[in-house]
Amino acid sequence: MKEYWVLLGAFGSGKSELALNMAIAAAKKGPCTLVDLDVINPYFRTSERGDVLTPAGVELIMPPYALEKIEIMSLSARVYAAFTPGEGSVFFDIGGDHVGSVALGQYKPNFMNIPKENLHVLFIVNPMRPTAADLESAYTTLEKIKFVSRLDVTGIVNNANLAGETDHTHLVEGYELCKALSERTGIPVWGTCGMPKVLAEFDAYAKEHGLDERYIGVRQPVTVYMHRSWDKFLTEGL
Amino acid sequence: MAKKLMKGCEAIAEAAIQAGCRYFFGYPITPQNDIPEYMSLRLPQVGGCFLQAESEVAAINMVYGAGGAGARVMTSSSSPGISLKQEGISTIAGAEVPCVIVNMMRGGPGLGNIQASQGDYFQAVKGGGHGDYRSIVIAPSSIQETVDMMPHAFDLADEYRIPVIILADGLIGQMMEPVELHMNPNPVMPEKPWAAQGWDPKGTRPRAVINSLYIETEDLDGLMTRLNARYDVIREKEVMVEKYHTEGAEFILCAYGTVARVCKAAVRILEENGIKAGLVRPITLWPFPTKEVREVFEQESVKAGLTVEISNGQMVEDIRLAVNGIKPVEFMGKGGSIIPAAEDIAERIMQMRRA
Repeated sequence: MKEYWVLLGAFGSGKSELALNMAIAAAKKGPCTLVDLDVINPYFRTSERGDVLTPAGVELIMPPYALEKIEIMSLSARVYAAFTPGEGSVFFDIGGDHVGSVALGQYKPNFMNIPKENLHVLFIVNPMRPTAADLESAYTTLEKIKFVSRLDVTGIVNNANLAGETDHTHLVEGYELCKALSERTGIPVWGTCGMPKVLAEFDAYAKEHGLDERYIGVRQPVTVYMHRSWDKFLTEGL
Repeated sequence: MAKKLMKGCEAIAEAAIQAGCRYFFGYPITPQNDIPEYMSLRLPQVGGCFLQAESEVAAINMVYGAGGAGARVMTSSSSPGISLKQEGISTIAGAEVPCVIVNMMRGGPGLGNIQASQGDYFQAVKGGGHGDYRSIVIAPSSIQETVDMMPHAFDLADEYRIPVIILADGLIGQMMEPVELHMNPNPVMPEKPWAAQGWDPKGTRPRAVINSLYIETEDLDGLMTRLNARYDVIREKEVMVEKYHTEGAEFILCAYGTVARVCKAAVRILEENGIKAGLVRPITLWPFPTKEVREVFEQESVKAGLTVEISNGQMVEDIRLAVNGIKPVEFMGKGGSIIPAAEDIAERIMQMRRA
């Protein structure tokens, strides 16, 4: 039975970065497919990282408009192939906010057929982003996304980061927000993400200050593939 | 306020709100869609109004209306959409209405592409719309500088009753960087006794007429004289320019916006190779830092200049006018959204040095 992972969250919360990292890690253990379902942006898509995904053994299902620099968003029939029986894992990278999650609604019948224990729907949180900085806005986004995606969120992910300037204090801030969101919604915290060095610093801090393990969860190390710093922009453009 | 991770477009929109902008009218076009998107979320939260117009033409005329009523108002677009707005911008200039217009330049002409470009320099600096008018044009080179510049842009627009254009590009708009915002919940708004703010039945103030139609020759001459006098003050007082390692430099790079950031890297490469180079970066493209550019080139040490743009050569004309032939100024750049690499710019200077 395939394991299904759906990554949801506010615009710019780091869904694509996480989807890439998780897919590449999963491909080491078995067949792995990444479905690019972003209907928001013509650029900054996981599809652009075929150069990393293909050698890592990740099968990429991308919409026909991706990489074409056109802005007519239609989804490929190939997406249904991801729901066929088999082994391994499937990751869905979804566009930002509730407007992006709309893309999922049409696959409700397919998701319904997946046993609950095999379907992981993660809500990614980065409080360093202006539109997701506090509990109220994170909660509102989560509720809106749940409504349009027609999926129940199974886990919250602390992806607090300030790009290259991230340190463990940001993850601590993310921990507090995820804890509050978890307490309010009853949804458990699935994990905490960050570059290995930042994660290690956060772990040390968590130990020292007795942070509650239930609100930290899986440590998901992240390699930066998607974020475009100034230098990356100059060589690769939009 | 602590830093936030923001896209350039989002940061500009938030900075405008912090500068007192409460009205935004626009129409979608890549790569600036995140500005209207963000405004649509935020403006209702601060008691403002976001409206997606039916076209760019409608949007700029809504800006004309809101600005004429004394509000701080902004619109944004990218190159082809800015072309559509030109008639409205000319009207706004003629009616002496303050507003801020953001152009996240993309490749042109026509629909071009959606990558960063600097092909709209002529349009922004030399008019764009018809008639004898000017807009203040500010060209920031980073997200942080754009954010820092927004309150100043609105202040300039109000002080001189003039359209202010933020001339950035898709790179600044789409890049995501940590940004420090200056939160200002109660921005101070200047008095605008000239604005159309409703009929006063007691007649205690003169009627405010917002109009760009001056049928009588003497009347239009009056407007033009008034505008010209104002333009002279702006030329005198509002020039902004950055000089980077220009003192005693042998070669001077000239660039604005994102390319200037690449040129700084080129200057450092040249210095590592023992070549004294500097950069002069106009921050205001109008008023153009003519005097400042000339002063840099007047230094005995300076042998030649190189203007670098993501275009086929537009600002280079103003650089050459400023330098006025006292030193040679070469051009490097391409129109097709190709951002020159720092190494290539440094190599070009080394070639000029060998020649």
